[in-house]
Amino acid sequence: MGATEKRMEQLGITLQQTDWRGKGVLEAVFAGDMLYFSAHYPVDEKGKPVYVGRVGAEIDEETAYKAARLCGLNMLRTLQAYIGSLDRVDYFVKTLCLVNSAGDFCNMPSVMNGFSDLMVEVFGHRGQHARAAMGAYVLEGNMPVCVDAIVKVRR
Amino acid sequence: MSTIHVIQECGCETAQRFQRYKPLVPIREAEGIVYVSGHGPEDINTYEPLYRGRIGEELTPEEGYQAAAECAKTLLRAVQERYGSLDCIRQIVRALALVNCGRGFEEPEKVADGFSDICMAILQDRGRHVRTVMGTRNMPNHNIPVEVEMMFVLSDGYRDRVSCGDIML
Repeated sequence: MGATEKRMEQLGITLQQTDWRGKGVLEAVFAGDMLYFSAHYPVDEKGKPVYVGRVGAEIDEETAYKAARLCGLNMLRTLQAYIGSLDRVDYFVKTLCLVNSAGDFCNMPSVMNGFSDLMVEVFGHRGQHARAAMGAYVLEGNMPVCVDAIVKVRR
Repeated sequence: MSTIHVIQECGCETAQRFQRYKPLVPIREAEGIVYVSGHGPEDINTYEPLYRGRIGEELTPEEGYQAAAECAKTLLRAVQERYGSLDCIRQIVRALALVNCGRGFEEPEKVADGFSDICMAILQDRGRHVRTVMGTRNMPNHNIPVEVEMMFVLSDGYRDRVSCGDIML
């Protein structure tokens, strides 16, 4: 305890403790030049799921492709909010793509091309990235896909 | 006040786990970024899982939350053992949480909140991170309910304090 806190204690002044619960997860965090993203989901501006269901059951491959593209659009929005101009993107480094897969569905790569195609459309070579796509048993809100990423940003 | 005192005051004391399986190390450092291996809610010494089973089947969501909180404690304990103090954490950057889900359970992110809340209770601003949560169906060590791996930025004073060579236990 510091001297000031001791003095406050003598004075009988106590401060309310901040409740940090539920405040730990950010949309993106910088580590040096690298911007790390949380998993982004196919949701609207208010965070409401646009696509719900498992790929291979309620959601078909084509719809899942669109959902993956929406994940990418949401990520671009976060990116813009964090760095201002998207011109500052040096290049995409790596993404981890999860597909909420039902039964025997194993065509995750073509689903996640919805995300990757968008990034190449927008950034050209700078949008190319290393990628891992895998099937998950459950995702938040039973949404069909989610994507996180690491992006290198110019200072 | 160093972070360890905060941990003790919070009643969040942690203890080291991770058996000495040689090819696997709990912590690797590269260019000021520290990568911590995935940890489950396990007893440090015996490796015995504190929780076992799928959330929504054998375990309730609340138990899942507690299990994820245990993961945070074991992860932070591993960091503390390596660097001497959690003051070494400048900023947690990213966490990947794997949640063992039973049929019909669709809220893995609420389980992972157990990890994030402990990080925030102990580290406050420095505990903020990005997170990816994945619901899975099969987990190691007798089907533990949660496993979390993370990476963080090392505080300047701790860089190069320990040479890379000594982590081959």
